[in-house]
Amino acid sequence: MKRKGFRFYLRIYFKILAQDLKSKMSYRADFIISTVGMIFTNIAGFVSFWIMFRNFPSISGYSYHEMLFLYGFSLLSVTPTQCMLDNNWNLRQQVYSGDFIKYCFRPINLFFYYESEIFDAKGLGQLAFGIGTLVYAWAKLGLAVTPLAVLKLLVFLAGASFVMAALQTAAAASCFWIENSFYVLDLAFRFRDYAKYPITIFSPVFRFIFTYIIPIAFIAYYPGMMVLRPSEVSLLSWLSPLIGAVFFYLAYRFWMYGASKFNSTGS
Amino acid sequence: MDEIIRINHITKEFRVPDRHEGLRGSIRDLFSRSYHTVHAVDDISISIAQGEIVGYLGPNGAGKSTTIKMMAGVLEPTSGEILVNGCVPYKNRTRNAQNIGVVFGQRSQLWWALPLVESFRLLKDIYQITDAQYDEMLALYRSLVDIEPLLHKPVRQMSLGQRTLSDILAAFLHDPKIVFLDEPTIGLDVSMKAKIRTLIHELNRRKNTTVILTTHDMGDVDALCRRIVIIDKGKMLYDNDIEHLKKFFGAYRTLKLRVKGDLSEQAKRIAAELPECSVSANENWISVLVNEDKQKVISVLSQLQKSYDIRDMQLEEISSEDVIKRIYEGGVV
Repeated sequence: MKRKGFRFYLRIYFKILAQDLKSKMSYRADFIISTVGMIFTNIAGFVSFWIMFRNFPSISGYSYHEMLFLYGFSLLSVTPTQCMLDNNWNLRQQVYSGDFIKYCFRPINLFFYYESEIFDAKGLGQLAFGIGTLVYAWAKLGLAVTPLAVLKLLVFLAGASFVMAALQTAAAASCFWIENSFYVLDLAFRFRDYAKYPITIFSPVFRFIFTYIIPIAFIAYYPGMMVLRPSEVSLLSWLSPLIGAVFFYLAYRFWMYGASKFNSTGS
Repeated sequence: MDEIIRINHITKEFRVPDRHEGLRGSIRDLFSRSYHTVHAVDDISISIAQGEIVGYLGPNGAGKSTTIKMMAGVLEPTSGEILVNGCVPYKNRTRNAQNIGVVFGQRSQLWWALPLVESFRLLKDIYQITDAQYDEMLALYRSLVDIEPLLHKPVRQMSLGQRTLSDILAAFLHDPKIVFLDEPTIGLDVSMKAKIRTLIHELNRRKNTTVILTTHDMGDVDALCRRIVIIDKGKMLYDNDIEHLKKFFGAYRTLKLRVKGDLSEQAKRIAAELPECSVSANENWISVLVNEDKQKVISVLSQLQKSYDIRDMQLEEISSEDVIKRIYEGGVV
């Protein structure tokens, strides 16, 4: 048996993904409706954002286009979670019914195998929307387009994605202990609505909470500032990719620990 | 004979929270939790050779699934030692998984939306099956069952029988050394049961795959297993040839009668008349357990029809539940 490295998992992932998309396409109506729904959700989000700025030209010193930049940034950093970790939403049901056991017999990583089962293609609409918003805001702000700036954006975007993924994974894993864990996951998902605002608009208490307890400020604000206002970033911005990676690793371990605990409760 | 599974005195304990009744009880549970220990598996030792089919029997909650989970490496024994194919399953879950196949009754492990053949191709990648091996296995499957109509059908659209069949084929696909089948024939019709038994038997014969079969269906056991292991309440009750068990219980038949009059009243009278047999009654039938070594069923029947108005009758072989109950009460081993 060959060693199962990164390439092995990547290959498996794309094979499962291809099959999954193929089967989703076969439900054409379902596919179209959910994609259209996702687009409307995004448009509605954007419109409410826009209306707010019709009345306030700036918020805590952030201009409309700067806010738009953070908004686009947060959409993008949520996308990987939306697309790749969507099966976390079903985890509660699977654990409750005991069906989760069926994932435990394959000779590959349990978390990977579980999450690979579902790819939410709707997230791709969000991806397109996020890119559009970000590019538009970038151009309007007159930020330089240098290879370094793009590289910075990608690195800090990756870190931010890890934070969102970690939040959702940890929240989903709570179902291994709590029966009514839907609220935990729902709460985690609702918090992400606050992620798109600069943390400075919140009161000190929430600023603390959103930085150190439920670190949603790392989904857009801290990493986004690296590109938006590179001259006034704090240490936390610099550390955000590292924090994201570490936080995701911890959430992953928490999930795996929960899974091993699930089995030991018998059925 | 090569030993493939070795289990030495394993025990599995679960800590279960005590729940108190009523609202007051729930509030109490919220603040102070007390636990009691459940011995799901209690000092079991088994040795299984490559190529055996072992029937693993016991009533619900006896600890069968727990044992299988421990052998599959998803559960760590509280104490004792398990070796599957020479390695400790819990410490090497993914390596162990490469050597085993699992079918868990009604929980399909296949990709719900995909046609079977696509599931097979994904499994081929996951288990790193070579092209040659894969083709050989598919050729074998074709010779054993009619898989063509299944291959291009999404699992979601299959009947329960087709799905079970598919799951069994998927479990054998990577040519594992051991396959665990947990109630593979549950809920299936007679012809599908027969088909699945033949399939398991043939795969075991051709590939020399060890099969651990848990079931409540004595028909499965009769068709497939030469050896059976019975556990109840986590303890091992029996581990021997099925022939041995049959010799012991083969002589027993259950005669079920429906007679005129109140059944429980009549049952008492019959019990008094037939001291050799054990008689019981429910709302539909009077059951008379006859040991044919001592008294033929026919003679019991002719004796009874003289004094009772028999409306209906059935003759049954002793059921697995009865066997297990008898073993538990009497101790055969």
